[in-house]
Amino acid sequence: MTRPEHERRLALQAMTRRHFLGTFSTGVGAAALATFLGAERVFAGTGTGATGTGTAGGSLGAAADPLLPRAPHFAPRAKRVIFLHMAGAPSQLELFDYKPELQRLNGQLCPESLLEGKRFAFIKGVPKMLGPQATFRRRGQSGAWISDHLPHLAEVADEITFLKAMHSDQFNHAPAQLLMHTGSPRLGRPSMGSWAVYGLGTENRNLPGFVVLLSGANQPDAGASVYGSGFLPTIYQGVQCRSEGDPVLFLSDPEGVDREERARTIEAIARINREHHAEVGDPEILTRIAQYELAFRMQMEVPDAMNLAEEPEWVHAMYGTEPGKTSFANNSLLARRLVERGVRFVNLFHWGWDSHGAGASEALNVGFLDRCRETDRAAAALIADLKQRGLLDETLVVWGGEFGRTPMLENRSGQDNPFVGRDHHNECYTMWMAGGGVKRGFTWGETDEIGYQAVSGRVHVHDLQATILHLLGFDHERLVFPFQGRNFRLTDVSGRVVREILA
Amino acid sequence: MPSRPSRRIAAAALAAVAALSLSACTSGHEVDFATEVRPILNARCLKCHGGVKRAGGVSLLFRDEALAKGESGRTPIVPGDADASELMRRILHEDPAERMPRDDDPLTAEEIDVLRRWIDQGAEWQPHWAFVAPSEAEPPETDGAWGDGGIDAFVLARLEAEGLEPSPEADCDVLARRVALDLTGLPPTPQQVGRVCEGGYEAVVDELLADPAYGERWAGMWLDLARYADSQGFEKDGPRSIWRWRDWVVTSFNDDKPFDRFTVEQLAGDLLPDATDETRLATAFHRNTMTNDEGGTDDEEYRSATVIDRVNTTWEVWQGSTFACTQCHGHPYDPFRHEEYYGVYAFFNQTADWDQTSEFPTLDSFDEGRRAEGERLVAAIADVEARMMEAVSTPAMDAEIAAWTQRLGDPAETGRVQTFWQNELLRVVGRPDSMRSGADRAFLRYVYAEIADATEPLRKERGELYRAYWPLEPVRTPVLRELPAGARRATYVFDRGNFLVRGPEVAPAVPASMPPLPGDAPRNRLGLAEWLVSDGNPLTARVLVNRFWEQLFGTGIVETVEDFGTQGLTPSHPELLDWLAIRFREHHAWSVKGLLREIVTSATYRQSSRVTPDLLERDPANRLLARGPRFRLSAEQLRDQALAVSGLLSRKMYGRPVMPPQPEGIWRNPYSGLQWVTATDENRYRRALYTFWRRTGPYPSMMAFDAPSREVCVSRRIRTNTPLQALVTLNDPAFVEAAEALAERVKRESAPASGARDLAAAVYRAALFREPSATKLDALAEVAESSPGDEGLRLVANVVLNLDEFVTKE
Repeated sequence: MTRPEHERRLALQAMTRRHFLGTFSTGVGAAALATFLGAERVFAGTGTGATGTGTAGGSLGAAADPLLPRAPHFAPRAKRVIFLHMAGAPSQLELFDYKPELQRLNGQLCPESLLEGKRFAFIKGVPKMLGPQATFRRRGQSGAWISDHLPHLAEVADEITFLKAMHSDQFNHAPAQLLMHTGSPRLGRPSMGSWAVYGLGTENRNLPGFVVLLSGANQPDAGASVYGSGFLPTIYQGVQCRSEGDPVLFLSDPEGVDREERARTIEAIARINREHHAEVGDPEILTRIAQYELAFRMQMEVPDAMNLAEEPEWVHAMYGTEPGKTSFANNSLLARRLVERGVRFVNLFHWGWDSHGAGASEALNVGFLDRCRETDRAAAALIADLKQRGLLDETLVVWGGEFGRTPMLENRSGQDNPFVGRDHHNECYTMWMAGGGVKRGFTWGETDEIGYQAVSGRVHVHDLQATILHLLGFDHERLVFPFQGRNFRLTDVSGRVVREILA
Repeated sequence: MPSRPSRRIAAAALAAVAALSLSACTSGHEVDFATEVRPILNARCLKCHGGVKRAGGVSLLFRDEALAKGESGRTPIVPGDADASELMRRILHEDPAERMPRDDDPLTAEEIDVLRRWIDQGAEWQPHWAFVAPSEAEPPETDGAWGDGGIDAFVLARLEAEGLEPSPEADCDVLARRVALDLTGLPPTPQQVGRVCEGGYEAVVDELLADPAYGERWAGMWLDLARYADSQGFEKDGPRSIWRWRDWVVTSFNDDKPFDRFTVEQLAGDLLPDATDETRLATAFHRNTMTNDEGGTDDEEYRSATVIDRVNTTWEVWQGSTFACTQCHGHPYDPFRHEEYYGVYAFFNQTADWDQTSEFPTLDSFDEGRRAEGERLVAAIADVEARMMEAVSTPAMDAEIAAWTQRLGDPAETGRVQTFWQNELLRVVGRPDSMRSGADRAFLRYVYAEIADATEPLRKERGELYRAYWPLEPVRTPVLRELPAGARRATYVFDRGNFLVRGPEVAPAVPASMPPLPGDAPRNRLGLAEWLVSDGNPLTARVLVNRFWEQLFGTGIVETVEDFGTQGLTPSHPELLDWLAIRFREHHAWSVKGLLREIVTSATYRQSSRVTPDLLERDPANRLLARGPRFRLSAEQLRDQALAVSGLLSRKMYGRPVMPPQPEGIWRNPYSGLQWVTATDENRYRRALYTFWRRTGPYPSMMAFDAPSREVCVSRRIRTNTPLQALVTLNDPAFVEAAEALAERVKRESAPASGARDLAAAVYRAALFREPSATKLDALAEVAESSPGDEGLRLVANVVLNLDEFVTKE
């Protein structure tokens, strides 16, 4: 950071809420006042609850402040969610689903009976079986199998519930990621984070309620639709924050514009927009007013929340963070800082887990190991850190990909290949959850002896979503939004709460 | 779409009155396949018994399949005899293990009744509406009189049916601004606003259609469809020189090139009997596919990927179909079979490009003063290369090449060949001779020409020519070029979409559910392109008028502009869509300007966009069109408008992409030395269309306002409303600079002693072409007066550029 920039940021932080409030001569209405007085106090008890009684595209005016903190259907176990999405679909067979029998079958041709009626993304003909490309140990009091690729996660095994028999309808990345986050493989549905903020509002009006952090420049395969708001008002969509450079692009005011001037301009914009809304009636204008107010507040609080340099050295050592870099580790620590400040839903996307073995970067014996190294320490640190801060009880951490991988070797070229990989597999794979009302040191679901089919405890993506909403205090069948003549919900027309894993 | 709970309720209700109501009221009536049967099949059956899965050997997608025996030996549907149909037996089965749909709620009594009657009535299939030619319906009679008798009659008839009334015409300043932004992407001039207010709306429309800015605005729409970018994509994402095609698009729109010709030139301009360099340039449309420049890639793999992308893009752009589904399997819902995908693939499989970083083949052009010399050198180089090929095309050489391919296992021998050819060479050589295609053999000869002793003098001669050629800084635009007759590729079905697993060989063909290619049509891209725009094609004109409609109204008549299939949304005004489609093709003879003129002069378009709470409740998304369109401007329009009202905008057209200011760190690519060099001249203020578009590092303010990254064809930008957008228009240096310039411009143009309040009003007027209301002016004046000197006015300009009414087309 250059010297003037640094001074600028200090000045920005020095501008207290009270001071800012003083600059408003005419006020910009309840929403802005709430900002400076504390939304919780002003609006305590006035929430109407998220029972889906609103009308599609209807008024989001002062009567129903869309970001107001609201009580869910019943007492929540989790107030916030951190979803660590490993885009590309990590292999469960190298991480959690230990299959000695598969080792025995290594190199043998896959029995035809396993292939009948099955679809694969890339495997063709009769593939060979591929044994686990990892050594495993039982970890913690719970004795969970965790591979030696994840030595740090092994340390917190007793905090985790493993879902070993996850399954999905989709076996291509973009549709499967959409299904995971929006409940539908097609574009246009709201994402889980959007539903959460729609249902619960936000606890900190100065930050987006739903933040997205990407490790590296790459978006998930399905792009920003994975954290879009679909048919919900756009105010609920995920806001991407960058972990290097200006945390949010164009966050700084232009040279020569001070905070008071910016406050005056935002106020004037809101006044004129409200007047214009009275003239033309388009509810989108009210959303825009809210977005400008949020932008102003973000200018104050985002730099503070995103400033990893504030953290002590031991925390950096714990996560493996390097301030100023773009990394999963940095994003994990940022996620903790964001939930600490009341952000409702944080989506982290790591990428590069698509281990087909077609090249080094996507090989189980090369790139996959890098992915493990990039994520293991930080994911474990996140759990430990939330716990030591007393936040884990009410923060749900979810880890997983959009589907899993086959017990068969994928060899696309059919030739000798130094790289080892597996194809997409959506019939069983492992995800894990920690904190926020799920059992500690627990495993649910079982796969067959080669990790090809679920044997018990199957959990569909919609079941996972129903469970996450349940932990947030919602009946997933009642958190709805009317659109095109019917009520829509995250879980589409299915979903079962996995009660077996609730603490 | 019925949800499951509602189906249960329906089932309960129906059970109670089934005997009475069903038999008494509905049994005699003819079941409509499209509206009654297909929705049941799509929702409840095709997931397992459709184009993707054929569980038990049963598919209900096509009639011939549904009437064929399944693996059980039983027949799913026996026309005229529901009781003999296995389908009925299974949906009625009492054992949940036997009952269909498996592991799901049973069909409702109503659904079962529909299927039974449909089968008893003969189980006829009807094609989906979009696969049937548009109906030639006349505009309907309406009770009221409103508008032009065409578009407006359709809209009014629907409104009357819904008990609604259209809105009055928008205020003239609002209308002038709306139509100027729509047609040219730029705000109107004050004179144009004045003329609209004096009743000269139609003359202003004509003037806007004739403005060169028109072509730039509509090119913007086309570039999303064409996945245009100034970079190659993938890892290095190096620069690509394809802007001359972008300029061709601008010119084509401005010349109002008929859309059928616009289509044919882009898909097959090289194959036209009257092909010119301009029509060859048009084919760069399909060279906007990505090139993979990463080391060690299989060029055939990525060549296949580009052909697949060309098929998918062609079908999405012109047919509004999710044809891409059939790349790997039969279409789950629409009547396209897996092998039919490769019939279309075969049309695109004969071009000479093959994923080379050089972008071969290219169409070379030169700056004005260098053209003659450049063209002479291009011809001379082509002549030398022809002689090189001749030199290696003798029987003696065939033997030499055969011997050489035997030696290619030796790395030293392979190493004589340019690195980027080595993988492809080894792949071809690795294939037994009998398996090599014409293109493979031509490739071997082509590479051998580069190393043969016999060509050495010729290669030296070519080297001299190139030494003169490069300093002329040729612009090398990638284009399509058909392979010569002896070097054609065979096309195979790719099993599960995998280019390595070949199914049966296929010939170029269009899907059987579509009208056939005329018997005398060439079986190449030209034949396909002419088929797309032929009168018999049911989709093209509909899909295109819907695209233009969507640009103007914010939502298409078919909301899913990218999917007219059975899973897309049904049209809000089906008769209007058909009428407009035929009108575009016949009356306007594919003139886009004619079509747009017809739409923007309709009373429907000219309505005020104000909305009452009642109407908002009734029709929140304005699907019924009881009011005019009102939605946020596109990323391009926002930038261009800010530059225009501030007086900064450069109206310079065409040319290489430009680099206006952008934040640091956007272009961060470890594999590429490509640098963003911020323009300090006129190029700083060019229209958004000309901003350098790099796929891995797109221009941030464009992204903030929902522009796609242009990796694949995108039909529809989903509009969002976020705080990040506020930060762009408040703080992005480009918008800040525009605000400052606007303030200066107003000050310069105002009387010297003007007060802060007058100046604030002038800023508002300059941006929005009307006087601010007293309340609005109060707010602006307070801003103007609260900061010293010119700073106050700059902030006023900053406020105005951020007003909802400014960032929105009203």
